Amino acid sequence: MIEKKIKDTVLDYAAKIVAEGMNGKGDRIAMRTKNGFCVNDAKVALDVLKEENLIEMPLDTEDKDYIVIARILAKRPEVHAVLYTHAPFVCAVARAKATIPAVLDDMTQIVGLNCRTSKSATTDALVGELKKRNSVLVPGGGALTTGRTMDEAYTCALVLDKASHAYVCGSVIGGNKTINCVEAKLMNIIYQKKYSKVNQENISKREGE
Amino acid sequence: MAWTKDEEIRLRKVIKDSGVNLLKENLVQGTWGNTAVRLDEDHMLVTPTGLDYVALQPEDMPVVQISDTSVWSDGKKPTSERKIHAAIMADRPEINATIHSHPVWCSVLASARIELPVMSDEMQKLVGGPARVGAYGLPGTKKIKEGTVAAMKGRNACFMANHGVFCAGKDMDEAFEIIRVMEKSCREYIRQCTLKMTGQLEYSDELLFDYFVSKYGK
Repeated sequence: MIEKKIKDTVLDYAAKIVAEGMNGKGDRIAMRTKNGFCVNDAKVALDVLKEENLIEMPLDTEDKDYIVIARILAKRPEVHAVLYTHAPFVCAVARAKATIPAVLDDMTQIVGLNCRTSKSATTDALVGELKKRNSVLVPGGGALTTGRTMDEAYTCALVLDKASHAYVCGSVIGGNKTINCVEAKLMNIIYQKKYSKVNQENISKREGE
Repeated sequence: MAWTKDEEIRLRKVIKDSGVNLLKENLVQGTWGNTAVRLDEDHMLVTPTGLDYVALQPEDMPVVQISDTSVWSDGKKPTSERKIHAAIMADRPEINATIHSHPVWCSVLASARIELPVMSDEMQKLVGGPARVGAYGLPGTKKIKEGTVAAMKGRNACFMANHGVFCAGKDMDEAFEIIRVMEKSCREYIRQCTLKMTGQLEYSDELLFDYFVSKYGK
């Protein structure tokens, strides 16, 4: 039995992903529950998702449609939400198997110093990439983003989409000027420690985790 | 206080609506970005830090002293980027409304640190010439403030390197027209560059993606 507040949060953010045009084939939206996680049925796309299409899966599932999410949540107790989205510019970077460098301030604050495309799309490779990061691109696919709350995972996907626009368009307008790694690291630490911690705790209560 | 209570009430609503309109027009994401309106030569209303634009109420906007932005009253904690709004208002007495945001296409040019040439008569009229890029500085620092003020000389908009865009108008309606024309002009510039680089005549995102993959793909 999935808590109503969690179902509402999942449906609310699924609608936001669709409104931002970040949805595509194979999307997943998942949120931790007492017994595992709440996730959209793999056969149901986010633009037609309804309450009855949400299912609860255990963390030790071997089902190939949900195993990546299950492993991430099992290995990262602080993570409460996982998204797999397909924003077109993000998919272009994943198709190129490229790494998005630190092109924008908000990317360094929320995503980190860069976002890599995993060497392979296997569960082990993807979960390994997310050991100390909150996002990874799936080669030939979309972006996996994680958060302490659904709002944080969604914001991460949103910022990654904007950074992908900057990186992809940079290829035709003369290249990007990246932020130096000391300043990027500093911004990331300040944001994660100072600004977002209390905010995420408040959001977490609202989302029903 | 050199303004009337009625005027303050009106401007509080203007600033509340500006946040909601930025969201509606997809010129900002979430709580990022901030706006300001002048009350008198040394005071302005600004948006508070980190609050949702829809939930924000007119009475939440703090009054900030332009000559010393550490002095504020009558609302919630002001945005940490108030120093940039204040610096522009102090430097440009004709400016009464400012917008700082991170819309997608403006962010592309900000990240490439490329000056945007004049793309239309509308851009020339509203921005006043090519849009420059202010020197890079960490958010909230003197460097980003001074870089923005320098890039805004004789212009009503500029990019903030790897950060976003800053727009200023005689009122909030004009500031909105400026941010709209900046976003539209950036998008058009990227389209034209894509056609030039690919040698094609018709733009599509797929054309850009294929070029990107051919250049950066592994």
